[in-house]
Amino acid sequence: MKLFQCIKQNKYIKRTIHIIFLLATVAVIDLALGNLLENFYFKQKSGWLYRTTYALNETTADLVIIGSSRANHHYHPDVLSKSLNLTYYNAGRDGSYIFYHYAVIRSILKRYKPKVIIFDFIKTGFKPSQESYDRTAYLLPYYRSHPELRDIIETKSPFEKVKLLSRIYPYNSMLVTIAAGHPALHSTRDGDNEGFIPLLDKWNEPLVSYKASPCYDFDKEEVRIYESILTDCIKSGTRIYVVVSPYFHKLATPDCSVIEARKIAAQYNVPFLDFGDSEYFRNSPQLFYDSYHLNENGAREFSALLVEAIKKEESKTYASQSNLDQ
Amino acid sequence: MAFTSFNFLIFFPLVLVLYWLTPVKYRYITLLFASYFFYVNVKPVLALVLFSVSAAAWGFALLMSGTRNERKRRTYFIVNIIIVLLPLVLFKYFSAINNALLKYLTEIGLNWPLPEMRYILPIGISFYTFMALGYAIDVYNDELKAERNPGIIGLFISFFPLILSGPIERAGNMLPQFRKAQSPDFALIATGLQLILWGYFMKLVVADRIGIYVTSVYNHVEHHNGTSLLFASMLYPFQLYADLGGYSLIAIGCSSILGYRIIPNFNRPFFAPTMAEFWRRWHMSLITWLTDYVYTPLSFALRKYKVWGIVCALLLTFLLSGIWHGATLTFLMWGLMQGLFLSAEALLNQRKTLAEKKYSLEKKRWYLIAGIIFTFLMFSSSMVFSRAATFHDALLVYHKIFTEHGPLFVGSPSTMIYLGCGLILLIIKDFLDEFYPHRIKLFNNDNSIVRTMSYSAIIIIILLIGVFDSSQFIYFQF
Repeated sequence: MKLFQCIKQNKYIKRTIHIIFLLATVAVIDLALGNLLENFYFKQKSGWLYRTTYALNETTADLVIIGSSRANHHYHPDVLSKSLNLTYYNAGRDGSYIFYHYAVIRSILKRYKPKVIIFDFIKTGFKPSQESYDRTAYLLPYYRSHPELRDIIETKSPFEKVKLLSRIYPYNSMLVTIAAGHPALHSTRDGDNEGFIPLLDKWNEPLVSYKASPCYDFDKEEVRIYESILTDCIKSGTRIYVVVSPYFHKLATPDCSVIEARKIAAQYNVPFLDFGDSEYFRNSPQLFYDSYHLNENGAREFSALLVEAIKKEESKTYASQSNLDQ
Repeated sequence: MAFTSFNFLIFFPLVLVLYWLTPVKYRYITLLFASYFFYVNVKPVLALVLFSVSAAAWGFALLMSGTRNERKRRTYFIVNIIIVLLPLVLFKYFSAINNALLKYLTEIGLNWPLPEMRYILPIGISFYTFMALGYAIDVYNDELKAERNPGIIGLFISFFPLILSGPIERAGNMLPQFRKAQSPDFALIATGLQLILWGYFMKLVVADRIGIYVTSVYNHVEHHNGTSLLFASMLYPFQLYADLGGYSLIAIGCSSILGYRIIPNFNRPFFAPTMAEFWRRWHMSLITWLTDYVYTPLSFALRKYKVWGIVCALLLTFLLSGIWHGATLTFLMWGLMQGLFLSAEALLNQRKTLAEKKYSLEKKRWYLIAGIIFTFLMFSSSMVFSRAATFHDALLVYHKIFTEHGPLFVGSPSTMIYLGCGLILLIIKDFLDEFYPHRIKLFNNDNSIVRTMSYSAIIIIILLIGVFDSSQFIYFQF
């Protein structure tokens, strides 16, 4: 009783108890709400959050497309799957960068060995950008369940481990999206075709030409990750193709990242298929949704061209293999 | 190091511990080192500019107070002002003036060999320059005694909670506090924590979320219709309020925890019924600074022109305010518009007061609401110039608002929902504080459970819908 009185009278102890009470309350709410969000996150059956989970945990497709929004909208499953006679999954995600792409490849290769991975490389892919690191936030919900992703997620900031003490943090700004992805609501969403989302509008703007610009310094970490993508695929025996898909713009000087990526691919004997400056697509605005994305018709035409290029590469490899055998 | 970075959440408690562990007499030295450490984290070489401004402010103030010869005092004062202003002019305005001059000379056929200049702007230079200037003017006017200790002046100008974006403090308020050692005060600490928490809410939940929408619209003015541009223009003042207001609250809160009382910077500006009242509530530290050091001397000098003298002083003061905000034509126009609004109010004030008395308008609720809405509309219309990237873009925004209507650009519905939640909470809190200050208390409730739940709710909301990095921007790119 005396102790209680003493605590009640001592303002320092009283304040300290209040602070501990506040921290405990926040921790309890954080834990409860975080678990609830986690539960609903992994129950989703549609949307881009679900597609990431599917790519990391479930897909067993022979052909996997990896990359950003351009990967997601440019590689038509009907054309690629039928022509190459492979099952298909598109793991491209809007606004994602090379760290995210590597994380998806790593998770997939840990589970199984796809026959082919198509990695869509973007112009300025090695240009330093904070966004590239920030977007590993897409992977935060998988930090606990996917130990192979932790070092990639930790490139976001040195404090990611500390921030992840909060159970809500991985689901920051996802509340509405998670709710919309709940099986009871997701029927309102547009479906995808094996992860591929077609874009339907046509681009009406004229071709934009960019002036010559000096080469920028590369982000060494991004270059290292690119090399890791190639070596991990080679080690696992998965055939990887690095592809630059079409753009609706004209650069006066070739993009430095593309030059570097081609050079590195050549070092590892990885086919590098560059359609980025294709004259045919540059003259066909009707195949684009905007200057960076092909629409569905564009995706079909590009995929058909890509199949031809892949077959050509395959026959080249087959021929060189035969020569070696002889 | 931004307040919203995780580094700051580590830096500040460390500084606090060090500060309280330091013997009382030397605490200002700990803070001075901490402030410079905070600053060099941005770009080390720029700390030299901060150091030079502080050294000049300290040295010339001593020289001014050391002589009774008025001519000498005046010379020291002018040299002080020039030295303190030089970095600001050089870094912030010189390249703009130089490049404009270069363009003009080329246009009239004179190929003057002026090199094109681009400098990195030292962070917080506009804020600490004004603080140093205020100190010099106060000492020159004998309103303040020159400080002999260079460490105290160095700390006043570089004090880390204030250096990035204010409030623009006065030497008269800060120097006595720095001289007198501060010891932990639980009431101040509690207030400080409240302010910091609400500041983070304003910045991360409201400002940065609105910023996603406003940036995506204003970065592609040519692609958006008048409806979206109007909506973005209405949101932008809230973004700015939550951004600068939130940052100011964090700064004031950190200072409170250290034991220092800082002047407020915002006082629920969107409930002001007139522009004059608005400017007494918006960026108060800058406006009081401009009032004391620019407007009052100017209106005194122009007093023989009566009301037109006031109009002239108002226009010049707000033009200066525009220039202070940025070295562009858009900011100049923004400043001019503020000056014009206030001048119009000053000119109509007598008639307005008569009408208010005659019809007892001041007591009528609709009159107050109409005043609040009208003031907000005037301010947000001027903010188009402050937000647009170029003068041409600003004109295009006005043109489209009046001529091109269509569906509102929504981008991502989830972002709009978070934006709405944050903004509504902010408006409700400000509304209650403005009109029912003692009716509903959450953070200051006598019941500790209500208090704790209020704090917890804000922390959870920040974790749930705060914008922590650029990963949210993707959903809104045009």
